[in-house]
Amino acid sequence: MLIKKILLNLSLYIPDVALILFLTEEGIFVPEERSHFIVVLVYFLIKISLHNIVAFFCFIKPYSAVKDILLQFQRGRYSMADSAHVLKPSACFGDLFELLRSTGRYLDNLVGSQNDEIEKFRELYNNVILSANSYFVVLNARDEVIFANKSFSANFRYTDDGILGLRLEDIFYIIPGRFSDAIDNVKKRGQSAVLRKIKLISRRKISLIADIKISRVTVQGEKQYIVVMDDITSQWRKDYQISLISQISESLQRDEEVERILYAILTAVTSGSGLGFNRAMLFLYNEQKKILTGKMAVGPDSMEEAVQIWGSVQNEELNLLGGGPDAPPVLQTNGAFYKQVVTSNFAINGNTLFADVFNKRAPVHIYDAASDPRVDPETRKFMDVSEFVVVPLCSANKALGVVVADNKFNGAPIYEDHVELLSIFAVQASLSIDSYNSLTSVKERMEHIQAKQEAIVESEKMAAVGRIAAHIAHEIRNPLVTVGGYARRILQSVKKPQKTLEDIEKAASIILHESERLEKILSNVMDFSRPSPLIREYNNLNDVVKDTYYLLKNVLQERKITATLDLEQKLPLVKSDFNQLKQVVLNLLQNAMDATPAGGSIILKTGLTETHIYIRIKDSGTGISPEAMDKIFDPFFTSKITGVGLGLAVVKKIVNDHNGEIVISNNSEGGCQFSVELLRPS
Amino acid sequence: MSRILLVEDEKNQRELYAAELRDDGYEVEEASDGKMAVEKVKSSKYDLVVLDIRMPEMDGIEALGKILSRDKKIPIVIHTAYSNYKSNFMTWTADAYVTKSSNLDELKTKIAEILAARGQA
Repeated sequence: MLIKKILLNLSLYIPDVALILFLTEEGIFVPEERSHFIVVLVYFLIKISLHNIVAFFCFIKPYSAVKDILLQFQRGRYSMADSAHVLKPSACFGDLFELLRSTGRYLDNLVGSQNDEIEKFRELYNNVILSANSYFVVLNARDEVIFANKSFSANFRYTDDGILGLRLEDIFYIIPGRFSDAIDNVKKRGQSAVLRKIKLISRRKISLIADIKISRVTVQGEKQYIVVMDDITSQWRKDYQISLISQISESLQRDEEVERILYAILTAVTSGSGLGFNRAMLFLYNEQKKILTGKMAVGPDSMEEAVQIWGSVQNEELNLLGGGPDAPPVLQTNGAFYKQVVTSNFAINGNTLFADVFNKRAPVHIYDAASDPRVDPETRKFMDVSEFVVVPLCSANKALGVVVADNKFNGAPIYEDHVELLSIFAVQASLSIDSYNSLTSVKERMEHIQAKQEAIVESEKMAAVGRIAAHIAHEIRNPLVTVGGYARRILQSVKKPQKTLEDIEKAASIILHESERLEKILSNVMDFSRPSPLIREYNNLNDVVKDTYYLLKNVLQERKITATLDLEQKLPLVKSDFNQLKQVVLNLLQNAMDATPAGGSIILKTGLTETHIYIRIKDSGTGISPEAMDKIFDPFFTSKITGVGLGLAVVKKIVNDHNGEIVISNNSEGGCQFSVELLRPS
Repeated sequence: MSRILLVEDEKNQRELYAAELRDDGYEVEEASDGKMAVEKVKSSKYDLVVLDIRMPEMDGIEALGKILSRDKKIPIVIHTAYSNYKSNFMTWTADAYVTKSSNLDELKTKIAEILAARGQA
C-alpha cells in the first residue's frame, strides 16, 4: 500500500507516470477522485496534441525531401543538384539525408559507368555496321520501324527519331514482290530469308540495290523482324559496266550498228543499276555541218514514268543488246524528251556549253545552271534543270561528241564519283565506237585483200593451166609441124613434076613416123593422169640405185661430176615395182646432175631407220629456192628452160603409189637432198 | 648467096627446113645441137643462124649466148615450137622469134627481111 501511495502521489506530479500506471497495473486503476482523472486526461490530450504539432513542424520538410529522393531513385536518377533540398547536417535528419545523397552519388557513378560501356559498345557496333555498308531496321509485328541504325536513317534522309513508327511502304516507293513475300514468309513461318539484288527507290529519291536478309526475333514476348540491307549498288554498277562493255565488244564482233552501241551506252547511264542518272542524251559531231547534233536520248518524261520503269525492270537481267535485233533496250522512251533532243543542234564554234566541252574535251559539272556563268542561255533553256553533267566522248584521235546527264526528276545530287564514272564510261564507249570504225575499215581491207588473193589463186591456176598447155603444145607442135611441112612438100611435088616419087615416099614415111610420135605423146600425157598398175615384187633397193647409176655413169663422167655410192648392205627386200623405182632414181639423179656444176659431187645413199628404208640423193648444186619448194612437185613446173616439168611429178606419183614419202631439204653446205622413204617391211 | 646455119635437133624437121631454104636459094649448113652450132660458127662465117631452143647437149639459149659472144653482129632467128617464150627473145638479144609452123612463110619472110636490112639479099 505504501508503494501504491507513493505512486499515487508521484502520478499527481507526473501525469505520464500516472497514465502508465493506468495501463500497466493489473486491473484498471481508477483514481479515487473523478476530477483528478479528468485533469490527468486533459493534460494527456494536450500533451499528445502538442507533440503532434511539434512533430509536424519538425519532420515534414526532411520527410518530403527523402520521399522525393527515393522517387528519383526509382526513376533512375541518382544524382541531384546540390541546391535542392539543402539541409544542414546539424538539422533534424541531416545525417540521414547526407547518407542518402552519397548513396545516390555512388549509384549514379555505378550506372553512369555502365552506360558509358553500353554507349561505347553501341558506337563500336554502329561503326562496324557502317563500315560493312549495311542498313539495320527492326520492325514490330505491325510493320512499324522500332529501330533503324544511323546509316539507314542518314542514307534515306530521316532523323533518328523521325523514322520510328514508319512502315516500309512509307519509306520506299515500291516494295518489290520478292521483298514483301519474304517478309510475309518470315512472319508466318519464322523462316529467315536472303534476297539478292533487290532494287529499291525511296520516297526521298534515294535508290539502291541491296542484298537483303530478314529474320525474326522475340524480345520480351513480342515478335520483331530484323531487316539487314547490304548496299551493293556500286559493285553492281561495276559488274554492269563490265558486262556492258563486254556486250558492246561482242556486238562489234557481231557487226552490229554503231547506233545500237550508243543506245546501249545511254541506257547504261540512266538505268538505276547503271550510273543511275534520270536522263541521258547524246550529241554527236557532224563534221560537214560543224555542229553537235542530238542523236539519242534516254529517260522518262516524268517522275511517275520513272517510278513505273523502276517497277518494271525489277526482275530483268541485264541484257541491253540481246534478244534479237528488234528488242529495245530496257529504258526506251520515244516521248517528248527524245524528240526534243534529236531536234536540237549546237554549233561547235558557237558560244555554248556543249561546244565548249566538246572542244576542250574535259567534263563539266554544273551545280546551279541559273547562276553558273559557263551556262549560256540556250543551254539553260534546253536543260531546264539546275544540276547536270556534260562529258566529252573522245577517243585518242578525235572528239566524237558529248554525253549529257542529269537528275531532272528526283533532283538527286550528282556526286563526283558519278561524274568520274560517267567520264570513264564515255572513254570506254568512245574506244568502242573508234574500234568499231577501225574494225569496219579493217574488214573492208580484209575483203579487198581476200578478193585480191582469190584473183591471185585464180591467176595461179590459170598459170598452171597455161604451163600445161604450153608444154603440151610444144610437145605436139614439133611432130605436127613436121607432118604439115612434109604434106606441103608432097602437094608441091604434085604441082612440080620434077620431084621424084622417092621424095614423096620419104615425105610420107616421115609423116607416118611423126604421127606415131604424136600418138605416143598423147598416151604419155594420158598415162600421167591415169594410175598405171604396179608390178609388186620383192626388190633390193641397192639394185635399183646401182642400175640407175650405171645408166648415167658416162654422163656423170662427161660432166665431171663425182658420184659416190654409199649402200647399206643389210637392206631388207621391199615389195615394189622395180622399173618404176628406177624411174624415180633416174629422175632424181638427172635433176641432181642438172643442178650440179662441173667439179661437184653427188652421193647416192641407201639405209634404214626404225620405221623406214630410204634412198637419198644428195648433190652439191644450187639448192632449191623457197618459191620453187612450194610447187616443185606441180606437173609441168620446171626451172629449166628445156625441162618438161614432169620429172618430179612422176617421182611423187610413183612414191605415193608405194605408200612412201619424199623429204626434200637444202644442205647447210649448199645443194639439196631428196630422200625417198618407203615403209620398212615388218 | 647468103649462108644460113640451121640448128635443129629433130632430124626430120631439119631436113625439111633445109630443103625448103635451099629451094629458096640459100646456102644451108646444118647442126643438130647447140654445141655443134657453136663449133660451126667458130670455124666458118654465116650470114644468119636459125636456132631451135630445146635441144640436147646445149640448148638454144646457151648456144645463142656463145654464138653472140663470138660474133656480136650475126643475125639470129629463134625458131621453136614454144610459143610462150616470145616475150623473152629481146632480152636474149635475138633478132626474131618465129614459132614453128608447117607453113614456113613466116620464117622465110623474117629471114629475107633481116638479110635485106643487112644488104645481103
